[in-house]
This record gives sequence, C-alpha cells and structure tokens, in this order.
Amino acid sequence: MNAVLVYFARDMRRWIRGRFNVWSALIMPAAWLIFVGLALPTRFTDSYLDFIAPGILVLTMLSAGMQGGSSLIFDKILGFLNKFLALPSPREAILYGKILFTTVRGLLQASVIMLLAVLLGATIFTPSLVAFTYLVLFVFGALLSAFSTSLALFVQDHDGYAAVNALLSMPLFFTSSALMPYDVMPPWLAAIARYNPVSWAIDLIRSFAAPPVPWTSLLALVLLALAMGAVSSLLFRRVTV
Amino acid sequence: MATIEAAGLTRRFGELVAVDDLDLAVDHEVFGLLGPNGSGKTTTVLMLTTLLRPTSGTASVSGCDVVREAARVRERISYVPQDMAVDIKLSGRENVSFFAALYGVPGRDRVDEVLAIMDLAERADDLAGTYSGGMRRRLELAQALVHEPEALFLDEPTIGLDVAGRQAIWAHITELRRRGMTVFVTTHYMDEADHACDRVGVIAKGRLVAVDAPAVLRRQLGGERISLRVDLPATPVTVEGARLVRREDDELIYHADDAAETVPALLAGFAAAGVRVRGLEVAAPTLDDVFLALAGRQDEGGSFDYRRFRNLMRRR
Repeated sequence: MNAVLVYFARDMRRWIRGRFNVWSALIMPAAWLIFVGLALPTRFTDSYLDFIAPGILVLTMLSAGMQGGSSLIFDKILGFLNKFLALPSPREAILYGKILFTTVRGLLQASVIMLLAVLLGATIFTPSLVAFTYLVLFVFGALLSAFSTSLALFVQDHDGYAAVNALLSMPLFFTSSALMPYDVMPPWLAAIARYNPVSWAIDLIRSFAAPPVPWTSLLALVLLALAMGAVSSLLFRRVTV
Repeated sequence: MATIEAAGLTRRFGELVAVDDLDLAVDHEVFGLLGPNGSGKTTTVLMLTTLLRPTSGTASVSGCDVVREAARVRERISYVPQDMAVDIKLSGRENVSFFAALYGVPGRDRVDEVLAIMDLAERADDLAGTYSGGMRRRLELAQALVHEPEALFLDEPTIGLDVAGRQAIWAHITELRRRGMTVFVTTHYMDEADHACDRVGVIAKGRLVAVDAPAVLRRQLGGERISLRVDLPATPVTVEGARLVRREDDELIYHADDAAETVPALLAGFAAAGVRVRGLEVAAPTLDDVFLALAGRQDEGGSFDYRRFRNLMRRR
C-alpha cells in the first residue's frame, strides 16, 4: 500500500507542476457548461444547466480517466517502467498508483467544474448530493482508469493510444443520457443509451436529486470497476514478467 | 559463490537466439559486457535484473535465483537502463527520495549522503530538468545507490555524454568497486572499457566468445597492429605474416606477429603495386582490434529489421 502512495505522490507532483496541463483539461467541460448548458433552448426542463451539470461532471471524469493510460505509456517509452520493475516493491503498485492518480486527478477536475456549475447558477448541488456525486465519480473513474491503463499496456506508442482514446470517448459521451432524457431521444439512441455505463453514472447523480435512486446501477458500476481492476492486474502481471 | 552467476543462460525470441548458453561469474569487480548492437547485451542484463525470463539456464545474484527468488534479487540490485529516465519536474532530492521510499530506506540522511557522493549536494533542490546530461546520469546513480545494493547493473552508462561527463561517471564506478560493489556494465566504448573494467566479456550473436582482463585479451591477440595510410584507389597487398583486419577509407590495418619483418615487405608490396603509402604506424593492438577480431562486423550486411525489433520489444 505504501508503494502505491509513493507512485501516486510522484504522479501528483509531476502533474501539478505541469501547470498548463492542469488547466487545459478543464477547458472542454467548462465550455460545455457555458456554451451548451446556458445557451441551448430546451423544452423538457426549466433549467438545462441543472440537467446537464451531472452529465458534464461525468464527461470530465470520462476524459480524465481515458487520459490515464498516457501517463503509463510515457513511463514505458521513456524507460521509467523498466527502472520501476527492477525495484523490490510489489510491481502491481505501479499499476494501482496510476489508477489512483488518474481517479483522484479526475475528482479534482470535477470539483472545479462543479464549482463552476454552482457559480453559473446550478441549484441541485446540496451537500448530500455533492458527497454522493463524489462516490459515483470515484467508482466510475476507477473503472475508466483501470480500463485505460490496461489499454496502455498493449498500445506501443502515444499516437496509437490517442487514436483509440478519441475513438471511444466521443461516442461514449454522445450515446449517453448526458444531453437529453431518454423520452426525448429517438428510440434507437435511447436503446443504446440505457446500456451505456456513462448513462448509469449520470442517471445515478440525477436520481439522487429526484429519487428513487437506481441502486442496481451503482452496484453494476462497482462490480464493473472491480472486474476491470482484476483484468488490469492480470494483464499487467502477464506483460511485465 | 560469486555475486552474479549465470549457467547455460539462454533466451529465444521465436527463431532468434538472443542469448545462447551463457556461462559467467562476476564478483567484486567492474565487469564490462561488450558486443555489437543486437548481440544480446541488453537481453542478458534484462534477465540478470529479473525483467525478462530466461528460456533456459539459470542465473543468480548473491545466491538468489533470478526466476524463483526474483523479489529477493531486486532487493540486492540496482538497474540503470540507458534511457536516462529522471523526472525533470522533480528536484534532484525528490528524485532520490522517491526511490528511497520505494526501496524502504527511511529518513533523509541516506538521500543526502548519496547526493553528496555523486557531487550533486549543491544542486539537490533544483529541478532535474535544469541538470546537464552528466548530472542526470549521476542522479540516476544516486537513485541506484540509495539502498546500498550488492550488484549494480548499468546499461551504456556513458552514452551521449561529453568527455568530462564520461570521465566523472567512470571515476564514480571505479570508486564503487573500490568499496566492494560488483558493477556490471555494458558499453560500446572500448577505450573506456579498457581503462575502467577489471574484466570484459565479448558477446557476439548471443554467444560469449571471450572473457578476461582487457590487457590479457590484447596480449592474446598478440603481435602488432600496423596501420598504413595510402592514396586511393588501392587494392590491399597480401604479405606473408601480415593479415588485413580492417579497412577504414584510406587506412588499412594489418595485424602481424612481427612488424619488423612484415613492414618492409608491405611497403615493397605497395610500391610494386604503384600505391603511394603516406603514413605508417606500428602499435600494440587496442581493445577495438580484439573486439573486431572476436565479434566481427556483425552489423554490416544485414539491414535493420524493424519488425523483428518491434516484436522483440513487445515481448519483453
């Protein structure tokens, strides 16, 4: 556990000192909140900002999580990984450190976006909703980071990784319930959206403001995250020995 | 038992035998593994440092088997790959503290100590991004030394450094040996290996073809090295007792048992062929000559096979 935190602290330090990267990742979700959340004329809700904010928080986590693998890719390309693998600390700590770092980074970015949503006039964020949102985002973020770090084990260069990342992120977001409720979607989209884990995370946050909460979705996300974590450890062990 | 031991160590990548039946014992010395690109140097180091599983054969460090007791091997070694991987956004001290934490070395004293040993104490709190290449390499050595390893593995430690940087690195390596550490180095630079290594091993196409002190290998090659500068075009003449070992543009290098006899014959031969000889030098053979005689020029001829290289990298 100690080694996980050591790797985590290294990545955190490097990330925070990268100043530009810290802020640039926030531009896209902030733009969604401002230019879509405030501007889009909608008929199904009085406050589109309140509707879209959970979706944008999950989007923030989605991009942060999918970005997580690139950190591992660079460690691999630049020779850090080989140095770490020759250390006596448990090798899986490298992987868990990355997953933890990616998830926490996503939570920090989501916090800024949540603050921005409140400043723009979102009213749904009661203290208990904020706590629940963090829980959902943590589970969702762990799932994505485990997935993206596994992906990074197999992709050879950063270009390939960025391509796969772009290929997955956008469709996952647009086929979710982020931008509109199921009953305004065309039936084909609604059918896809109901099975998209991105929707599950968004629906969980929305439902907490307007119960009942679909606890089965939360359970499904937790199980998915655990399974993905197990797959990720297995792959990591196979690739590094 | 020697600190580093290998017996019948073999690694295959598909059809390619990267390391072939390697036997070796290295103990309290600076051992240099020399070989052309792709000869199996790095593969050997990766197996000894538990980063790659041998296909067959065994190896051990301080008596711990590199496969069955990999974790215990990793407690006793340090490995510095050639990539020069230090975190440029962390200070020198942070880079070393990070490794100290992973090795389970408590406190700041040891970190300060290794930084001082590597002459980095004054710049310890500057970001490693402001360090020169030589300083970054010394920082990596500081990281590697923080847990007082029994064996240190260095892959091309002086690659890309200027002369002063190289000398500093070798001075540190020699000092570590003096304190009783076993240092296993791979290098391309023969003159550096000649000066700094107690023994060298020459590896060619995965096979270890010679292991001994550089001076012994040079003596074994024997004879003298005759280097002639000629006007081009020139066909090298053949003379009894002299063997053409190398040709670099207008420089022809012969190897002869007795230069006093063969030099006049060579000069006469070139005169008869109508080739003007502009310069002549007779010297004892260098480690370069030993290396080329043993390892040949493996790199020439076959082109660089990128697909095989990629597969190789993927499998490790």
